[in-house]
Amino acid sequence: MIKTADTPRTWNETLDTPSSPGRSRLEESWRLFRTNRLALIGLGIFLIFFCVALLGVFLTSGSNPVFDPALVRLEEKLRPPLSRPNLDALTPGKVPTLGVYLFGTDDLGRDIFSRMLQGAWVSLTVGFVAVGLSVLIGIAMGGLAGYFGQARVTFGHLLACLLLGMGSTWLVAGNKWLAIVLLLTGGALLYISLQDTRSGRNPAKENLWLSWRRLPIMTVETLIMRVVDIMLCFPSFFLILTVVAILPASMYNIMIVIGLTSWMGAARFVRAEFLSLREQDFVTAARALGVGKLRIIFRHMMPNALGPVLVSATIGIASAILTEAGLSFLGFGVPPPHATWGNILSDGKNFIFDAPWLTFIPGFAILIVVLSFNLFGEGLRDILNPKLRKRS
Amino acid sequence: MTVRRILILAPTLLALFLLQSYFWVPTYEEQTRGNPARLKEYISASIGDASILNPILSADSASSQIESFVFEGLIDRDKDLRFRGRIARSWDITEEAYFYVNEGASIPGLGKADAHEVIRFLKGVKGSPPPGSALGKALEDIREVSLIPPREYQVTREDKLPGKQGKAGKIRFQVHAPARIRLVLRNVNQDLFQDLERLLGPDYFTGFNGLKYLDADLRLDNRVMETYARRILPATEHNPVILFHLRPGIKFHDGTLLTAKDVKFTYDAIMDPKNLSPRISDYEPVKSVEIIDPLTVKVTYKRLYSPALTTWAIGILPEHLLNRDALRAEALRRGEDPKKFSVRMSSFNRHPVGSGPFRFEEWKSDQFISLRRFEDYWEGPPNYDHYYLRIIPDNLTQEMEFYAGTVDDYAVQPHQVKRLESDPRYQSFSGTSFGYTYIGYNMRRKPFDDPRVRRALGMAIDVDKIIRYVLYGQGERITGPFAKQTDYYDAAIKPLPYDPEGALKLLAEAGWRRNRDGWLERQGKRLQFTLITNSGNDLRKAILAIAQAAWKQIGIDVRTDLLEWSVFIQERVNKADFDAVILGWQMGIEPDLYQIWHSSQTHPYQLNFVGFKDKQADDLIIKIRQEYDHDAQVAYCHRLHEIIAREQPYTFLYVGKWTAILDKRIVIRDVDKKGNVVYRKITPTKTGSYTFYFNKWIKLPEVPTFAQDG
Amino acid sequence: MLSFIGRSFIQKLVTLFFVSIVSFLIIHLAPGKPSQIDPMNPKFTPEILERFQKEFHLDKPLYIQYVLFYKDLLTGKTVSWKDNQSVLKKMWDRFLNSLPLFVVGTLLTWTLSFPLGIRSAIFRGGAFDRTVTFFSYLLISIPGFFFAYMLIIFVVTRFHVPVIGMETFGLATTAWTSVAMDRVWHLLLPSILGATGGIAVLSRYVKSQMLEVEGQDYVRTAVAKGLPPEKVHYKHALRNALLPFATMFGLILPGLIGGSVIIESIFSWPGMGRMAYEAILARDYPIILTVNFISAVLVLAGTFLSDILYLLADPRIRL
Repeated sequence: MIKTADTPRTWNETLDTPSSPGRSRLEESWRLFRTNRLALIGLGIFLIFFCVALLGVFLTSGSNPVFDPALVRLEEKLRPPLSRPNLDALTPGKVPTLGVYLFGTDDLGRDIFSRMLQGAWVSLTVGFVAVGLSVLIGIAMGGLAGYFGQARVTFGHLLACLLLGMGSTWLVAGNKWLAIVLLLTGGALLYISLQDTRSGRNPAKENLWLSWRRLPIMTVETLIMRVVDIMLCFPSFFLILTVVAILPASMYNIMIVIGLTSWMGAARFVRAEFLSLREQDFVTAARALGVGKLRIIFRHMMPNALGPVLVSATIGIASAILTEAGLSFLGFGVPPPHATWGNILSDGKNFIFDAPWLTFIPGFAILIVVLSFNLFGEGLRDILNPKLRKRS
Repeated sequence: MTVRRILILAPTLLALFLLQSYFWVPTYEEQTRGNPARLKEYISASIGDASILNPILSADSASSQIESFVFEGLIDRDKDLRFRGRIARSWDITEEAYFYVNEGASIPGLGKADAHEVIRFLKGVKGSPPPGSALGKALEDIREVSLIPPREYQVTREDKLPGKQGKAGKIRFQVHAPARIRLVLRNVNQDLFQDLERLLGPDYFTGFNGLKYLDADLRLDNRVMETYARRILPATEHNPVILFHLRPGIKFHDGTLLTAKDVKFTYDAIMDPKNLSPRISDYEPVKSVEIIDPLTVKVTYKRLYSPALTTWAIGILPEHLLNRDALRAEALRRGEDPKKFSVRMSSFNRHPVGSGPFRFEEWKSDQFISLRRFEDYWEGPPNYDHYYLRIIPDNLTQEMEFYAGTVDDYAVQPHQVKRLESDPRYQSFSGTSFGYTYIGYNMRRKPFDDPRVRRALGMAIDVDKIIRYVLYGQGERITGPFAKQTDYYDAAIKPLPYDPEGALKLLAEAGWRRNRDGWLERQGKRLQFTLITNSGNDLRKAILAIAQAAWKQIGIDVRTDLLEWSVFIQERVNKADFDAVILGWQMGIEPDLYQIWHSSQTHPYQLNFVGFKDKQADDLIIKIRQEYDHDAQVAYCHRLHEIIAREQPYTFLYVGKWTAILDKRIVIRDVDKKGNVVYRKITPTKTGSYTFYFNKWIKLPEVPTFAQDG
Repeated sequence: MLSFIGRSFIQKLVTLFFVSIVSFLIIHLAPGKPSQIDPMNPKFTPEILERFQKEFHLDKPLYIQYVLFYKDLLTGKTVSWKDNQSVLKKMWDRFLNSLPLFVVGTLLTWTLSFPLGIRSAIFRGGAFDRTVTFFSYLLISIPGFFFAYMLIIFVVTRFHVPVIGMETFGLATTAWTSVAMDRVWHLLLPSILGATGGIAVLSRYVKSQMLEVEGQDYVRTAVAKGLPPEKVHYKHALRNALLPFATMFGLILPGLIGGSVIIESIFSWPGMGRMAYEAILARDYPIILTVNFISAVLVLAGTFLSDILYLLADPRIRL
């Protein structure tokens, strides 16, 4: 039953409210999700991992942790999983908790179970933050490029971005005052320029001094796509190597760097989808109804464009964790002796025949995380795009 | 539907095509046992490719490996580490010593004497020397005494000009050199002038002031003038001389005879700045290389420098292929600028010609380098027909190729050694490497300035366990800075015991006690530092973790960091910006440790980056460098070893052992006195090279029975 | 259309110029110096280091170095610092080595991904779909070197044939068919490994696209009309699903200059990937910059190509 309006409502809300009795959108989504068993399982497994990771941080940190990941027992090197420790050779302080090497030991005799616990949080965070960052940036850039394609970028915009960029570099380099001045000027200029675009003021009345900033340089789309091109031109390994060598080797820097160097794929996909979606009827309808631009982009068009983005996000998680492994092989990445799934893997490279569990266990863990996220992602996609739902 | 069929057919056809190629490929059996030519080839595996096949320019190990077969030097070392002549049949080491006549000094028994009088005096004393004393021996060694009359000459030096705020410019000196006496000695004697002082008076040499014989065209202050005077007109000078007698009839691979001019050319090429040779510093003490006749070369040195002889193991280059005319012709042919064209740019480096037992055949970049035997080699051609160096960057695939028989030797990893030693198909031998791994402490920073702390840190680490479990037994303890196999190393010095309790006691003496949380603390500050090393080296990574855990046990909070090699060296080690590092040295046999341990080498970018400064050690280092007598040298080395072991600027960890695994069928084939063919087992020599008799190696179809002796 | 091409071309040139500056800056600002100037070698005196610096023009200000380098690059005279060989010649040799690997790998990837992805989409949720999904993610989660070693061990111990290198070392025959087939065999394993990652990813994308298209109304109409499933899937749905892949096609171009370092190391394949990696570690600037430049050219050409393809393929798009 269509709700009749007693008080005037905006069109936005009318469009949103479903015409079925009494369910909000969120409830609808949740109902759908609940029936999709696989998606639930995916979410469940993922949450379990998340909790284990958090628990792991507590259980393995401090100077006398419950599970000690850094304890070296050279005599017990390369023991297979579920093997008992040689109690004669070990001092009591070195016997593993639980009395057995749950996942075996590595080539320095450290307990793999403890190391996996310690590494879970780092690896999960690296995977999700890096991918999250790259997806967010990719969607934003792709969406803006795809929708605003023909909008002109003026000189003022560019100058503002340049100032902001310089300001942030100086901030990183430590020169605070200059950075603040630059950031403020840049920000102000950006705000004024954006206001101009929005209001479309008549240039004839403009003072000559200020009119230069209206000079159109290129379209939004060109700008963003060129930035994507430039980023694509640099092999990511090379960029990561440079940035990681300059900045201190902390976990957060690595996450940010991996995120900042892998958003280009998502951006290109989203832009491509948007180019075709833009001409579709529902978008024209929404525009005709006066729905705000940003809302159209993120609320109406984006859910339809997310398909390939979700796939690349799932793959990206595994890839980010493995990139961290590759980096730790080169010596960047989290400083030792902190364990991550990635560096357990790369340490095990030499012992594939003698100790295959060093490769299997972290690989298997990564696989489960990725699979569970994939199941969850498919469920998510069904919610966002009704056309993809199974015909029941 | 056609689309569907295409979708299915395309991959299937592609897959089938690719898979059928299996049937065309020869199996390993066909390549090895079924191939008789294989026995005449020796195939070695290397992880990296060679870069420049020119002994004066190369700096990596793959290039050196090839160069050792293609080129040959004047000398090398035999199986007991003594020098043996290769291109040089024999050599004589003598000395020419010079001193200026000090007319102002009073000689006991003679008073003030001019040049002729001094010479007559010396010859007189020489006739009846005081027996048995050092002076007597020194005088006996003098073969000839001669006079260099006074002369005038000019000298220019480049330096900062005075008063002009450090601008560089030329300063011209007018030298009015007084008479100089030249002594030709039979042996090198670094104490010659101390001994002569007994004769000529205690301040004959020290009292000589070159200042009054020197004029500069600019006004310089006194101290600067004195420095120049000491350099341009030194009171005494040692010029050791090596005279090489070359073997006649040695040929290069293209048939040209090798003569003294090739030796001189090699030296000139090294010293030519255009060639950017990394060996320049080895030959910097050389004053001149003269050709006496086509088979005799005389090398004179500017000062005492005992590592000199070793430097002549460098491969000798063919002058006729690399001299100026040849280079110019090549430059013109390639369209390059002849003026800028140096040896470094020549295509000789990719197609070398030397005088060694194997001649260069082909080099496929990053795939393999092939050599074939040189029939006219002076010692007789080697038994093998071909030598190949295959480039296989991955260790596991190297091992697989070795098992399959397509590679004869490869870089065996410690954990593989056990597996292979017990395999009856292979023979293995190992020896100690030349070099060692250590933890270095930055002695400029607290708490490393206290030797007790350094000792304690060393005592807290169980090195024997590291050797047993991480190296799988392929290593030995080391206590000092010399190569363990040489006699410069004092084997009597005991290594630090593994004693955490003792370490705690030492630390307590130094003021570090455990606080409530268990960490060591002094005056409220915890004992905390960072240990770093380079990435890409699994052994060092393991030691990093082990050291950290060991030090944590005694209450020291150690952070660790792994850095990429370039960054590690350039940003941390070279700038001495570190607390402790794990590093290793690879060294030669020579005991010259100046660059690593002398106190003058502690500036940034120098090799004494730990900042070790000890006066006694400095003296010993200089003495070792200038001592030509082996036993005296050994005595000095032992004393230096003791000082360094006591001070513990490094925690000396271990010296790795190399293990070589070869097919049992590779043996040494020799011809005994009766002309019968005799086979002997390969045994490694002290140099760590088991390829010592490589030219006599041969691979037989079956394992032979060995002769009773030999 | 023509104006688009013209504009695009000029923009790409400007981008190329910009990229050349940025990559130059990155290399020179990155810590670490060329390993020719390796001070850990005790034989290197400060004079030698200075001479090397002069030789490599490292003592001149950055912009002069930039001009000198690109002048050399564009006239083809750049020379590697490691062994004084012409960079372009080196790159060309390595390119020829990597090319067959790249071609076979790409062929395998594309010909295998489509059938797998399409079938997964059509029989969604079925056994085929689940197995393929599982294996795809398995391949992505476990690192490449593991599979490489497993494959090599399997083939070597079972079939006793050599797999590493570009050709069998010491091949006796010279008949060109044998030599060619030998090369093909050696291509097989590394291509498989290179392709597995690509197949896993690409098949997921194909499935996702097919699913989207199959959910559209016109497909529903086609089914309702009673068309045979073959026609529905392959004639109507597939064509529209392929659209984004047309653009992906253009992006294959940069792969010509790439190459996985790990696969090349394990298989002793003398390719571009290894050369670039070693150059980065040794800070051999000429090689790094040249490789970067050429790969930038290829990337820009690739994106240009895919933009055009997209324009041509989808009538709904107006640029």
